[in-house]
Amino acid sequence: MFGWKGKILRVDLSQGSCLVEDTPLGLARDYIGGRGLGVKVLFDEIDPRVEALGAENKLIFATGPLTGTGAPAGGRFIVVSKSPLTGAIANSCCGGYFGAQLKFAGYDLLIIEGKAPEPVYLSIRSEEVAIKPAGHLWGKWTTETEALLKAEIKQKFDIWEASDTSIVSIGPAGENRVRFACVMADGGRAVGRSGVGAVMGSKNLKAITASGRGEVAIADSEGFKKAVMDFLEEGRENKELEKRHMWGTWSLPGRANKTGTQAALNFQTGYFKPFEVFEDPAFIRDNIRVRDEACFGCPFACSKRSRIKDPDYPGTTKGPEHETMALVGSNCGIGDLDDICRANYLCNELGMDTITTGATISCAMELFESGYLPEKDTGCPLNFGNTASMFQLMKETSRRQGFGDLLADGGYAVAEKYGHPELFMGVKKQGMPAWHPQGIEVIGLQYATSNVGACHTKATLPMYEGRKDPAHHVEWTKQDQDALAVVDSCVLCWIIYHGPLWSEKPLVWLRAVTGVDYTADSLALIGERIWNLERLFNLKAGLSGKDDNLPPRITDEPRVNNQVVHLDRMLPEYYRWRGWDESGIPTPEKLLQLGLAGKAGAK
Amino acid sequence: MKIKVDYTRCTGCKLCEVACSLQHTGTVNPWRSRIRVFITEEYCLPVIAGPYTEAACNSKGVRVIDGREFDECVLCRASCPVKPIFKEPDTQIPLKCDFCGEPPDPQCIRWCATEALTLVDE
Ligand code: SF4
Ligand code: SF4
Repeated sequence: MFGWKGKILRVDLSQGSCLVEDTPLGLARDYIGGRGLGVKVLFDEIDPRVEALGAENKLIFATGPLTGTGAPAGGRFIVVSKSPLTGAIANSCCGGYFGAQLKFAGYDLLIIEGKAPEPVYLSIRSEEVAIKPAGHLWGKWTTETEALLKAEIKQKFDIWEASDTSIVSIGPAGENRVRFACVMADGGRAVGRSGVGAVMGSKNLKAITASGRGEVAIADSEGFKKAVMDFLEEGRENKELEKRHMWGTWSLPGRANKTGTQAALNFQTGYFKPFEVFEDPAFIRDNIRVRDEACFGCPFACSKRSRIKDPDYPGTTKGPEHETMALVGSNCGIGDLDDICRANYLCNELGMDTITTGATISCAMELFESGYLPEKDTGCPLNFGNTASMFQLMKETSRRQGFGDLLADGGYAVAEKYGHPELFMGVKKQGMPAWHPQGIEVIGLQYATSNVGACHTKATLPMYEGRKDPAHHVEWTKQDQDALAVVDSCVLCWIIYHGPLWSEKPLVWLRAVTGVDYTADSLALIGERIWNLERLFNLKAGLSGKDDNLPPRITDEPRVNNQVVHLDRMLPEYYRWRGWDESGIPTPEKLLQLGLAGKAGAK
Repeated sequence: MKIKVDYTRCTGCKLCEVACSLQHTGTVNPWRSRIRVFITEEYCLPVIAGPYTEAACNSKGVRVIDGREFDECVLCRASCPVKPIFKEPDTQIPLKCDFCGEPPDPQCIRWCATEALTLVDE
């Protein structure tokens, strides 16, 4: 077998059992892996109405056929579950080495089910799989958790084993079921969105260590080698490799701000003066960068390890990426680079999604400044730009202490409690990321219709060649969403492969690695199948077309570039392109075409 | 001819491990690669497999280069009895860099996007 390992590791924490099963290969072909195979397994194995933080929910760590092959920018893995933040499907992705190590250990999927009676961690060394006590790790921040586990590995085995082992863990936020807790990986990477860290915490699972000594077989290894080398050659020539390597996402905050499309002050505006300094991304790189840090098999190495000169924030972390800089920065009225790094550091250590953390706090800040949220409730003055209050509340949130207990349920819960749900800037209860939709209208449609709620990883900017003509934006939205579902299933990196960017490559890598005769058309169909299955999951979980919406600030109040987002005009057209009825439900004909006929959730 | 390693340019992408493994085995398995990349928070260090030595040395210590401390056992290129790397995982047969054949055509260099690895005449 090529690409896929053909094995699934199923860990039942209630029973304390670890079983190895065969990967159903027909399904693997039809859903590829990663996000696609993950949602297929989840849909078949749980009732989407289950309590997301209950033992019945499952947490699936999914690799794809390209994971661990060296397919350029193929270093990510996906976590699929039901989200405790949105109640919808979760399919968050993360880079680093964990996916590759899981694959070398021999597994396409790791399915976690049940709930451990006591805190545990899972150790995977190829076939040696063990559930171990984690009492000594509970309550620890994420990098300390990793460091303790690495020290144990080094002592028990050797220094190379410790270097090779990749670790994912949750921080206090996941343990305390903060609804936007993330799973952290490799010392600062995040499976960020949808609160999958809270699901892991609800299972009493603190961490997973993975390393393997197996291989990934390649169907056409000569063809694969040549295709990758040509790609690298081209990237050297046109300087794409160097550009992304140099700046990563740090080229974006200044650019977005300059064009007035940067989330600022809870999306009240698209421009934030202190962000002008970021128009030169070298300012960021020169001040905080420690080293460029690639994911497994990625020649772009866009992510950066960073450090600030503040003894209260020792060591290093990863980022802040553009989304983080926007949400905990400009959107909270914070422009100082060190302060943004502090917020990023705390989120990473406590194990909270930087985007939703920013969205939640900025929402509370606006409620506070508008006089709806009294200081006696927050316990501190919560005006925009108040970093001391922000850092304190972040820590309280991770412990569900004081006002943090409410913040831990997310911005929507806060806004609703104080009578102004319209002031929460999100979709399906998940905060919107960095790009202000009033600057780029079609991004609004992409946020509104995303199966996981507003998300940066499911959107394609219309600035690229081949995506500019507004007459086609709705059509392309559907097409690009489906293409991203394929990218997330391979698993490739959405940052490199989205919209028209290297869009023909996933097919090239997949064919060479798996030997399956995929075509551009068959991949488009698979992407659409995955998107629709996620939609069915959501419908069954209780969501509806009404949840494909945007905050009224975005659709009704022209705040940025004098624009509003005409969702009422775009949505019906989008449903038509999707082959859904006017209330957003896939038609039986569409489901038949996708091989999903008879699935519950459809009328 | 030598492969020069500039670890300060290395991003830890491990494409060199992939290239070497593909070249020698047709599959991807870092443990069968003749080059391994040691990852730390501050830096990544590519190490290329040198000759096999029968006996483990006892000079393990710390080497300071440019003010940074390195574990000598990690820096060392030998495949030796006490080291886990540079051995076939199944047979424990030692691995050694062969410059990818004759004439030399180091695949690791061709896959390294950052020029952390370069070929120098010497
Ligand atoms: S030159 Fe060839 S054999 Fe030597 S480390 Fe590089 S890829 Fe491996
Ligand atoms: S390919 Fe180059 S940058 Fe990547 S790990 Fe190897 S030496 Fe480092």
